[in-house]
Amino acid sequence: MKKMLWKEIRLAASPLSFWFLAAAALTFVPGYPILLGAFFITLGIFYSFQTTRENNDIGYSLLLPVAKKDIVKGKYLFVLFIEGCGFLAMTVFTLIRMLFLSAAAAYTANALMCANFTFLGFVLLIYGIFNLVFVGGFFRTAYKFGKPFIFYIIAAMLVVVLAESLHHFPGLGGLNGFGFTEIVPQLIVLAAGALLFAAFTLLGIKNSIKRFEKIDL
Amino acid sequence: MSILEVRHLEKQYPKFSLTDVSFSLEAGTITGFIGRNGAGKTTTIKSILNIVHPSGGEITYFGLPLVGNENAIKQRIGYSTGTVNYYPKRKLKELASVSKTFYGNWDEESYRYYLDLFALDENKTPSELSEGMKVKCNLLFALSHRAELLILDEPTSGLDPFSRDELTELFTMLKKQGTAIFFSTHITSDLEKCADRIVYIRQGKIVLADTKEGFGEKLGLPGETLEETMLRLEKEAREEGTR
Repeated sequence: MKKMLWKEIRLAASPLSFWFLAAAALTFVPGYPILLGAFFITLGIFYSFQTTRENNDIGYSLLLPVAKKDIVKGKYLFVLFIEGCGFLAMTVFTLIRMLFLSAAAAYTANALMCANFTFLGFVLLIYGIFNLVFVGGFFRTAYKFGKPFIFYIIAAMLVVVLAESLHHFPGLGGLNGFGFTEIVPQLIVLAAGALLFAAFTLLGIKNSIKRFEKIDL
Repeated sequence: MSILEVRHLEKQYPKFSLTDVSFSLEAGTITGFIGRNGAGKTTTIKSILNIVHPSGGEITYFGLPLVGNENAIKQRIGYSTGTVNYYPKRKLKELASVSKTFYGNWDEESYRYYLDLFALDENKTPSELSEGMKVKCNLLFALSHRAELLILDEPTSGLDPFSRDELTELFTMLKKQGTAIFFSTHITSDLEKCADRIVYIRQGKIVLADTKEGFGEKLGLPGETLEETMLRLEKEAREEGTR
């Protein structure tokens, strides 16, 4: 599978997938819905699916000595690689905000979501939805990606709205805590996000393999 | 043991179906797969490579079923489905450098040899190649890993007569080395030159799979060339269909 990941990076990947990783830095922007950083990272991955189609990467991959399911796994590996890089950067930036900038006026006066473990949990949820809805949808045809991307955008934006509003509900203010105060509810959200990410990704891979196997190319 | 055994292959489309396609290939033989446009040649080839999902039937390579052994089987075969229609703006050497990592048996010497033989410049991109050169480029990749079986869809289409002649000579050379070749074509003169066996398909059904001589004896008329036999059979089939 390492070879498939290398093939993705060397041939199929759009440079924009890497450039859009810079959106992880939105984690630092006060008064901004920082979850959009995760969305922009997936938008960068979307461009690689565009180059996949433009360059008939699937046609090329079919000539390689790999099973059809390995082509699907290769795409997911690349997606997870970029998501992993983005998540790592956002985790580092979040920890910087939590450890060193929790008292900064720009952040304490922030009406929107704080960078904390709740934020990271929702980042994973957005990634999971991308892996299930967009990547899984792409492999219905291995060609059409407009509809899956629209569905993903709608779902991702609903998650952003939910995440941004959640801490305004009575009793849930702790989810938006600064620094390391009220960390337990935040860790619960992070754990839930990680679980949903794993479940959605595994389901996406399973669906994609099944769908791609049946496609006539 | 046959190198490839296709038994009762079926593929249903709304307006076309492959029905009970069966044939086998032996090591060191060249088999031509003939039929007119739309007869089911490409669908058969794509089905035996799992590019098209068959509705039924069994496909075994080297005694191993294709399902579950795709990786191991594809290491031992080379195939080309027409021209290079991928990565139009990537240099051939970039494509080769990625492709070679997948083959345990990639033969750099063969790659250089065919690059030279086909007069391909590895610094060119597929978009800079003519249609004929694109066919050769796909063949280059198929030939560079010591495949025991080559499956080629229309490898001579789009090639000039000189290149076609070179290619059929190359097939004969590879055959002597023990490689089995299965190639589809509608240019019957290519088969006259090099094929040992012929598989003839019409409207998704195999009409006959036999040696070239057997084909002439069973379906040909005295003095008829392969092309004349094919034309007569197709005309007869069309007339029967319109009756």
